[in-house]
Amino acid sequence: MDHTPLSESWIKRFNVVQLVLAGILIMSPTAWMVLSSFKPSFEVTAYPPTLILSPTVENYSQLMKMTPFFSYAINSMIVTLGSAGLGLLFGIPAAFAVSWTRISWPAVLTLAARMAPGTLFLLPWYVMFREVGMIGSYTALVLSHAVITLPIVIWVLLPSFDNIPRSIFEAAQVDGCSITRILWKIAMPLVGSGIAVAAILSFVFSWNYFLFALVLSNGDSKTLIAAAFNFVGEGSTQWGALMAAATLIALPPLMLAAIVQRWLVSGLTLGAVKG
Amino acid sequence: MAAISIRNLVKRYGNLTVVPDLSLEIADQEFVVFVGPSGCGKSTLLRIIAGLEPITSGELLIGDKRVNGVPAAQRDIAMVFQDYALYPHMRVYDNMAFALELRGMPKPEIDARVRQAAAMLHIEAYLDRKPKELSGGQRQRVAMGRAIVRNPQVFLFDEPLSNLDAKLRAQVRAEIKSLSLQLRTTMVFVTHDQIEAMTMADRIVVLQNGIVQQYDTPEMVYERPANQFVAGFIGSPTMNFFPVELRDDVAAFAHDGTPVPLDAAARARLKGAAGKGVLGVRPEHFDVVASGATSAIAVVIRLVEPLGSDTLIHFEVAGTSAIARVDPSMKPKVGERLLMLPQPDKIHLFDAASGQVLR
Repeated sequence: MDHTPLSESWIKRFNVVQLVLAGILIMSPTAWMVLSSFKPSFEVTAYPPTLILSPTVENYSQLMKMTPFFSYAINSMIVTLGSAGLGLLFGIPAAFAVSWTRISWPAVLTLAARMAPGTLFLLPWYVMFREVGMIGSYTALVLSHAVITLPIVIWVLLPSFDNIPRSIFEAAQVDGCSITRILWKIAMPLVGSGIAVAAILSFVFSWNYFLFALVLSNGDSKTLIAAAFNFVGEGSTQWGALMAAATLIALPPLMLAAIVQRWLVSGLTLGAVKG
Repeated sequence: MAAISIRNLVKRYGNLTVVPDLSLEIADQEFVVFVGPSGCGKSTLLRIIAGLEPITSGELLIGDKRVNGVPAAQRDIAMVFQDYALYPHMRVYDNMAFALELRGMPKPEIDARVRQAAAMLHIEAYLDRKPKELSGGQRQRVAMGRAIVRNPQVFLFDEPLSNLDAKLRAQVRAEIKSLSLQLRTTMVFVTHDQIEAMTMADRIVVLQNGIVQQYDTPEMVYERPANQFVAGFIGSPTMNFFPVELRDDVAAFAHDGTPVPLDAAARARLKGAAGKGVLGVRPEHFDVVASGATSAIAVVIRLVEPLGSDTLIHFEVAGTSAIARVDPSMKPKVGERLLMLPQPDKIHLFDAASGQVLR
């Protein structure tokens, strides 16, 4: 039919428009944040917004002077890597066990925990950690953030494990493998990209999680995201420094996502396509 | 190398009974083929022997050892899977070496065994490749190689030829047969293909609904089927069946009373079953006779299938479609009239109700 090429080209144009709109929607706050971080403080909240004419790093130098930014960054890194590691340590065997046994309720339970508002956990945890004198410790933060990372690991890996033909595991059983060895030697190497995706997503979600860090940390263990909140004051908010902090905080996850972008997409769709 | 002994084995999945009560003895070094239609329990039985399915009740012995509840890893068996189940992330060499490494075998011995098996299966050239770089036939060989290097007590094959094309299937079938003669290890092979069963087995187990219908050599299963199911399942094209009865001591087709040329012995067997039964004639056991033979069955050819080595003709007898295998030099034509006579010493008679052979 001769109208097919025309409609196809229209579909293409429509797709481009959609992508541009979605891009604007997603990118404009980010762009605004980055631009604002390079504006003088008084221009950040100016209306109408000024286009950046003379970029300044004043906000960044103020941020470094006012706060121990790098020690917060180290705190964030310890908590994020710790909780992502903990999530992988328990999430990989858990996802494998759920896939192996086809008993899915434990996975659903972790998902429910992930879906529940963080405040639900906050008070019991605060009380529990205070009782054992762990408020402000890295352990408390890592453990609490594992509630974020564990369900991510389980649910990213579950379809990957499900996708491995059962007969491969059975062949390994017949070959003399125990279940733990099957996980280690057969299943994990086969879901490598899934594990990478789970690790990255865990990192990003844990890095960005605000609530637990705000309540369960103290001055020494404060993470970047909780520390940035200090710029929002009762009387005045230091928007410039806040934007500079937000830009720096957003950098590691953005860089991580950019580096592994292709891998990320293929890993996320792995469960949907039977190899 | 070991015998396998299955005693009063029952397998249930919830309320569904797959194997009601099965006993079977497989001798040491024997090549036994489980054959039957889909859902007959043959693969379940193999998986039970492998240790991949638990037993509901009964006993399973490999060698002298009772292995109920013994994990697959400790049964010293090797299995070739329908989809080969090679480890996709490992090279062919590592696929074959994996089980030996698990057992802590010294590296030089592993290497020797892998190379010996690879030579036997002509896959030396592929040892460094990943499974995805191999064709179906090559993967099949690797799967067998992985089993062979183990030098296990028992080999299990779960329909390993079903993913191969017809030509390759015939080739690999012959290779497995010759391999079994070289290795002299107990082998259990599951298939739904009766040709595989006939060509490879020392003994065939014909299964239906988890019940052994017959357990015998291929020749006996073919020539002396225990019941109508076995007679119909083994042989291609399938055996022709016609309901027959005795009318005043004369055998006749039950459908229309046309006389059936059965000898006195056959009539006596029918008499023993209240005069009713099912006559079974294999396609190759019809003789085309010259006109004038009074007792012959007159047929009209409906369809001709020339196979080269022989020709199949389709016709109808007493309301039942039938097939006969004839010499291609006959050059039969559709619509042609023929006189057919079942070979008297090759006919089979079954009980009309139970399907058991009438002796």
